[in-house]
Amino acid sequence: MLTLIISILFIVSVCVLLIMLTTRNDKIKDLQKNVGNLKQSLDEMDEQAKLIIRTDIELNKAQEELDKKINGLYALQRLSRAVSTTLEESQIFKMIDSSNIGELGFEKTVSFLWSERDRRFILAFNIGYSQDEEELIQASIDLNKDFYLNLIHQKKTVSSNTMPDDPIKDKIKNIFKVMTFVVSPILPKEGRVGFIFLGTENPDMAPSEGDEELVTILANQIGQALENAKLFENTWKAQQELEKKVEERTQELKQALNEVRIVSKRKSDFISAVSHELRTPLTSIKGYASILLAGKLGELPEEVKLRLSKVNKHSDELVNLVNDLLDISRIESGRVTMHLTPQDLPSILTEIADLFSIQSKEKGFDLSFKIEDTAHSVIADAGQLKRVFINLIGNASKFVPQGEGKISIAGYKVGKFIQLDITDNGCGIPEEAREKIFEEFYRVENAINDQVKGTGLGLALVKHIIEAHGGRIWVTSKLGVGSTFSFTLPEER
Amino acid sequence: MTTVDNINVGVGLSTEKDIGRAVKEVMQQARATINKESIDLALVFSSTEYANPLTTKIISNLVGSAPVIGCSGAAIISNKGIFRNALGLMLLSLPKSVFLNTANIQNIHTKTALTSGEELGEKLLHGFKGLRRDFGLFFTDGLIEEESNLILGLQEKLGTSFPIIGASASDNLEFVKTYTYFNQDVTNDSACGIIWGGKLQFGWGIKHGWKPLGKPRLITKSKANVVYEIDGLPAAKVYEDYFSRDIAGLRKELKRISIFYPIGIYLKDEEEYLLRNIHMVENSGALIFQGNVPEGSQIRLMIGTKESCLAATKQACDQTKNWLGGKNSSFAIIFDSISRYMLLGRQAIKEIEIINKEFNNIPILGLYTYGEQAPLKATNYQGRAHMHNQTITILGIEG
Repeated sequence: MLTLIISILFIVSVCVLLIMLTTRNDKIKDLQKNVGNLKQSLDEMDEQAKLIIRTDIELNKAQEELDKKINGLYALQRLSRAVSTTLEESQIFKMIDSSNIGELGFEKTVSFLWSERDRRFILAFNIGYSQDEEELIQASIDLNKDFYLNLIHQKKTVSSNTMPDDPIKDKIKNIFKVMTFVVSPILPKEGRVGFIFLGTENPDMAPSEGDEELVTILANQIGQALENAKLFENTWKAQQELEKKVEERTQELKQALNEVRIVSKRKSDFISAVSHELRTPLTSIKGYASILLAGKLGELPEEVKLRLSKVNKHSDELVNLVNDLLDISRIESGRVTMHLTPQDLPSILTEIADLFSIQSKEKGFDLSFKIEDTAHSVIADAGQLKRVFINLIGNASKFVPQGEGKISIAGYKVGKFIQLDITDNGCGIPEEAREKIFEEFYRVENAINDQVKGTGLGLALVKHIIEAHGGRIWVTSKLGVGSTFSFTLPEER
Repeated sequence: MTTVDNINVGVGLSTEKDIGRAVKEVMQQARATINKESIDLALVFSSTEYANPLTTKIISNLVGSAPVIGCSGAAIISNKGIFRNALGLMLLSLPKSVFLNTANIQNIHTKTALTSGEELGEKLLHGFKGLRRDFGLFFTDGLIEEESNLILGLQEKLGTSFPIIGASASDNLEFVKTYTYFNQDVTNDSACGIIWGGKLQFGWGIKHGWKPLGKPRLITKSKANVVYEIDGLPAAKVYEDYFSRDIAGLRKELKRISIFYPIGIYLKDEEEYLLRNIHMVENSGALIFQGNVPEGSQIRLMIGTKESCLAATKQACDQTKNWLGGKNSSFAIIFDSISRYMLLGRQAIKEIEIINKEFNNIPILGLYTYGEQAPLKATNYQGRAHMHNQTITILGIEG
């Protein structure tokens, strides 16, 4: 019985164990299935990671390229600004520094400019090469100058990317010790042409099309700067030349002016001396003539009296001439002091009109004046001012037509001056004579002048007097219609 | 002028090509912002054009007996921005309660990296007996092999938990020659460092922002910085699969692949994976990394974006500030991975803007590196320093 119970219990236990084992196996299978799923998920995740990484690396490359371009553009902007503000050829290349070249993606650069005289390229600047390397590069460029001249001729930028695999490309790489490079011609319209070379030892930095464009822009900027420098140099030289000529001419003029002053002084001194020497005998002549005419030495025959009157008259004329000469000489040399005081123009002109009253009746001319209210008072030496009017009116009276003459005087304010116009209806003055009439001893050649005597000093004296007052004198005229002599004097304030 | 407590700092930066004029310019700028005559330390970071004994000689002459220390970088960082061709100088005048000792080692290739590290550690300790050591600042040639072992050597002497912050020097991405500066010496195949101690507080932040992608994988065979097998297959096979390129193709794009898609070593409890850049792909399919990759490590392929990178910069600033308990640093030193510069491209300047903003424009000087050294944060690593790639490491000092 016991054995049966034990057997039943054993069978039940075995059954329970079998059931438990089956359940556990199911769980293990489930777990294994889950692990498998997890592993599959991980593998799938890993595959996704691979896709992410491959995409990411491409994105990073694109980003790097973009950053490189932006940095390159900034560097180019900095270089362009530095280069374009330089007007000295020797300084232009000094503006290019290794940090900016680095930003462009290169670490070595050289530039050569063509020398027409030497028929070879001459090194303009170098970054990244020793002196020995420089010499090797120079020798290589001398040997292959046609290649570089051709680039200049074709205005073409080349790079290690775009050049065909020919010996010159390898030669450039070897001589310049770079893996990749760009060469671009420098083409100023004025001045020396050349080329710029930029290279890197880094084989990963293969220049893209964009790099070539950047280098071309840089080369153009250098070309432009060289052109500006050349133009500036030319302008500078021309300016220096001009300044030199101006200086020479100024010296010549100064010398001439000094000579003129010396001559003028000698002339004044001479006139002054001569006038004084003439005046003494003239006074004697005039005195004796007056004594004889007065009959103090006995009555003289009429014919003698007539001759003596002529002597007297000519002596007066000579005295006037000498006096005018003396006055001009004094004014020129500054020996005459102008007593400048306020003068009332209407009063002076009334006085002058009275002076000419007999003459105007005899010749039949009308003398009138109109001075505006604001132009009554001027600063002048009264005696000298009267002399100016007498001279100008006297001159006009000689040339106005007999019986129909008109002389008018107008006065008005112009700025800080009073302008006086003395207008006549005389024969007029030819254009070519209008400046010269103010020169000493100049007389216009015309019929009236041939008949009317004059010294040719009146207008010169008037000009000197007006200028001594700080004014100026000029004439406008129309032949057959008349002339207007205008002069200015400072107004009274 | 910056005067917080007793540390006085002056920073100068010049892009002047002539070394003499550049040194004069940085010295004038730094002197103008420091209100102390006596200088206790001159930190020099520069691009390789200035890696010339003339630079250090002039600086040494101008700072008297103060040590001159630093290294070359692909670009220099200052408050003003990022400069590819520049010389940067930070002058420090320290209170008497702060101590430092400097030392260097040269010709690392003639020894092992480990023994070189030990030698440097010993030299540094020699001048620091009986004084409290706070942390170490190190600069190494960025192209030496087994750089991780150099740190191990240092830790042998200075203590495994001794905080080490450091930078691997870089050149202008040619990976040809990088330099460290020590007093008047400018050398490659070398390392130098400073131990700081006394009454000062420091804090650091280190973040990269790269995220794991793809399935986890296991390093099944490696030795130091050479990984032979991943998941039992030649290590390069992983990269070949991911990038759909053969070994030659990988080599052609190694710089880009290494920088943008490093491997990340999983570290328990750490917020981020420890990144490793590939240095070389062997014909056998073995991958040589810049730092050690221990066998048995779980790794992932990593991917970074500009956004995650900039977010990491902000987090590194926050970490530094947290270390300092909310106090603002007197100045900060920045070691920024060249990979970040390449990934961020034109947005790299944003990192500097973030730092300036987060630290209220305190004086900063830094450089782009081929590697950064800093301790791991999680407690189970006991503050042990490791070599990192792709990070921004900020060292803030207050005192």
